Order: sequence, then C-alpha cells, then structure tokens
Amino acid sequence: MEVERISGLKFHKKQDVAIVGAGMTTFKRRLNETGKELSYLAIKQALEEADMDLSDIEMVVMGSAPDTFDGLHMKGEYLLDGSGGSDRPYMRVFVGGGTGVFAPIAGYWHVASGLADVCLVVCEEKMSSSHPHPQSAFKYIWDPILDRPLNPNLIWIFALEMNRYMHVHNIKHEDIALVSVKNKANALDHPCAQLAEKITVEDVLNSEPMALPVRRLDVSPPSDGAAALIMVAPHIARQVTDNPVWVTGVGWALDTTMWTNRDLYFPRYVAEAAKMAYRMAHITDPRKEIDVAEPYDPFDYKELHHMEGLGLAKKGEAPILTREGVTARDGDLPCSPSGGLLGVGNPIAATMGVKAGELYWQLAYRAGKRQVAKEVTTGVCQAWGDLMQVGTVMVMSNKR
Amino acid sequence: MFNEKIVNPAELRHWEGKIELYWIYTSGVAGDKFFKALKDEEKFIAAKCKKCGKVYFPPRMYCEFDFSETEYVEVSGEGSVRAFTVARLDKDEKLMEKPEIYAIIDMDGTDGCMVHLLGEVEPEDVYIGMRVKPVLKEKGEREGKITDILYFKPS
Ligand SMILES: [Zn+2]
Repeated sequence: MEVERISGLKFHKKQDVAIVGAGMTTFKRRLNETGKELSYLAIKQALEEADMDLSDIEMVVMGSAPDTFDGLHMKGEYLLDGSGGSDRPYMRVFVGGGTGVFAPIAGYWHVASGLADVCLVVCEEKMSSSHPHPQSAFKYIWDPILDRPLNPNLIWIFALEMNRYMHVHNIKHEDIALVSVKNKANALDHPCAQLAEKITVEDVLNSEPMALPVRRLDVSPPSDGAAALIMVAPHIARQVTDNPVWVTGVGWALDTTMWTNRDLYFPRYVAEAAKMAYRMAHITDPRKEIDVAEPYDPFDYKELHHMEGLGLAKKGEAPILTREGVTARDGDLPCSPSGGLLGVGNPIAATMGVKAGELYWQLAYRAGKRQVAKEVTTGVCQAWGDLMQVGTVMVMSNKR
Repeated sequence: MFNEKIVNPAELRHWEGKIELYWIYTSGVAGDKFFKALKDEEKFIAAKCKKCGKVYFPPRMYCEFDFSETEYVEVSGEGSVRAFTVARLDKDEKLMEKPEIYAIIDMDGTDGCMVHLLGEVEPEDVYIGMRVKPVLKEKGEREGKITDILYFKPS
C-alpha cells in the first residue's frame, strides 16, 4: 500500500491525544452482571490504571452495537449511569462490529478538538439477552425486500466472502486455520478469555461445518463484556503517567449496503480508512513502519483479509506471512497478540478491549505475558462491521 | 407523481415484516440481591455508597456519581407519595375499565423513589405526602419480579 505524504493544515487538531488507562471485564457467553454493571467494572479498572477517579472525567463516549441485542431502545441512555455519564456530556456511537475502534475514534474527536481534556470511552455488549440466538437480531440488518425473504444469516454471507477470498488468491483452508490456532493460543495468556485453547489445524478443519467453507473453529463466539479507555490531553498525560500512548492517526470509511455489488475478496473500505489514518500519522509504508497490529478477527480469514486491507500484506500475501510465523507473538509483525476475538471473545463493541485496548497495553509495555517479543513504537488496530461495509482504524505510538 | 395520494397501500407491491425476537434480561448482581430478598424474605434491600453515603433504591453495585462501591442496607419498604396520576385511557386510547393510580413513592431511609401502583384507595383521596406501604403477593405466588409488589396502600 502506498500512502501519500501530507503536510500543512490537513487534519489540523487543537491538541494531541494520549491514552493513559484501559480496562476490560472477562468475556463470557452469559454474565450475570447487567450491561451497566459490566460498564462500571471496566471503567473502574481503567480509572485505577490511569490513577484517576470519576470526578476527573469531563466527557463520556459510549459504544454499543444495535439495541436489538439488549432488547432496549435507547440503549446508550439506559447504560448511562453505569458508564460514568450522569450529568456529563455523553454520546453513544455505533457502526456494528466497527464500533470497537469507532468509539475510541469518537473519544479522539472530543480531546483533539479541545472540547475535553479528559474523555472516557466505554463499550458494552450483552449478546446473551437476545433469543432465540443473537443471529436472529442480525437478520434485520439486511434489505427487507431483496435479501431478508431468503433468510440469510451472517455465517452464510461470511462463508461467501471467505470462499471468494480463497478462490481469488488460491488460498487453502489449512493456511486460514492457522490464524485460529495462533489467536486461541495467544488468548491463553489473557485473563479475560472465553475460548483460549491449544488447538491444531486439523481440529479446525474437522470442526462442525456451519456454512462451508466456514466451520465452527473458524468463528469467534458471541459474548457478554465491557471495555474502557481513558483519553487525555498532553498536559494531563504528563501528570498521570510516564508512558502515555499517543493516538497518531484515525480513519474510518463505509461502503454501500448493497454488499453484492462489490468484489468481496478485498475490503476496500478498510483500505480507505487505513489510508486516512496513515496519512494523519505520517506513515507511508505501513508494512515497514507498523511494529504490532490488532486487525479485527471475528473469523480466521478476516484477520488475513484485514491485514491486506491495512496494507500490512500485499493482496493474497497475508496467509503466507502467517504460515511463516511473521504474525506470531514473537514474529516480525505480531498480529492479534491479545488472542483477538477468536480467542478472547466477541462482545461486538466491547472488543475494543482486545483491539484498541490491547494496542495501548502493548505500546505502553503493560501487556504482561502477552507482550510481544520485539521492540515496539507504532501499532495499528482496526475493527470492521455493519453489512461487511465499515472499516475503522486507529494508529498509536509511544513516541509523540 | 410525487403528490399522488396513496389511499390503499395494499394495492402496491409490498412485504410485511416483523422482528421475531424475545429477550431474557438479567437482573444483575444488585438486582439479584434485591429480588431474592423480596421474594424469599419480604425484605426491601437498598445500597449505600461507601464514600458519599447516598442510598440507592433499588440497590446498585456502584455509586453513579463517584463510582465507589456500595453496601447493602435493609429498609422498611414504606414511603410517601411524591407525585401521582390517575390513568383513564390506556396506550391505545381505550377507556380503562377501572382507573389506575400511578405514583412516585419516596422510599423511607433512601435517596431514591420508585414508581408503582396505588391500591385500596380512591383517586380523590390520594394526596402528595400521603404515607404508603407495600402489599406483596402471597409467598408461593412471588416470582422475584417487581410485580411481586401488587401495589402500595395508605398506611
Ligand atoms: Zn457515592
């Protein structure tokens, strides 16, 4: 991927933005806590890490995917009191699965614009409320006239995308399964993980067929959970930490809901979002300049797809890099060192904890057992969602 | 023609849709404590902030204003009417068989109120500040729901 160099007033901001704390709850299929209680628990942890308390928070951004999961209209408002939002400027954002990185992007606007010096970003998802299955809620994202009468579900359409991706680049399922093997093993070191395990490529290839080529172990599980981040202006960052992580670029892009009218083998909306974020971060050669990445991995092939969208691999090259160990935690370009959605879990918006949250922990050298082997300065995280149409990207660096 | 009046939408090609979903809501950590005590022991549980002392009813595991932890405290369940209305039309604007009295009840010993029905009282006899106490379902009929409280009556 080539990214043009930008100078001058483009992307002008009032002040730089640092992340100084993060927190997340355990991810599980069914948690007893309410969405408010989960939000509170994640925020509490982030505040402790940042050595702050709620009175230091000026504004709050809540990220949560569609209301249908929780069965609550105006879910943002419902979650407010557990989100530290009472009597403060508070807003909820969502772009489906892309929310996990879109919410911190919205937090970035708050601080970069100078409107707030301290902004709390919290993401919550409780998929277990929705019955008979969360897939029943996804059904209503399709066009009611053209798609829905055919009874599609998300697994089927991702199977179509995976099939197209495999066909265009002649990729074997074995090579895709390696992502699931890697991420579920990485998750063994994550205290919040739902599906951490040592598995083999054969386990993936022999797991239950859902909609071929997609099998059970190619997919992340539905989960409940919450995550939080604290984003601050430089003068606050100096007061609370010696190791702030700076947000150096943000980007987002959406493609049409007419998802059948584009070639699914490449997520061009992710590429557009990435280019925007790289331009802002003055990154011209992402493969060389990015040290660690958290690409969105709700399916194993999606990590590869997104590495290519993010310019971390050429088209069709991501499976090769994975096979060669480049994306392993001790590789040259570690991807999903957190364990990702495949290993830690997929509570839609709350995956912020394993994407933006993990990138912050990696760059702050706070990832503990999950810390990648190489020295890291700059990283990228990304989320993806809606009807295979949104890419959200954030670049961070521990150097300002 | 944009200004053509559609008199019968069924004459146009159309599809009908319905969202086929139901939800199972969890009452959460503090909610569990509250409903179990109500169902099994006819007790009313509130939660007091360990930092600012604010007492939440129904209880919460956190204080919304300073994010400190709370501790559970028992309250009487009695209170006084802070505001009330007498509902005569239902949500579909149909005349209700019997008017219902909805009240905001200021719960004794807490900084919170709850909304519930008033019973064993005529609408014209209700006044703001009226003392009320809860009437619960029989023990065997209680399910751990807010409707285990049938209504509040004058005390
Ligand atoms: Zn308090």
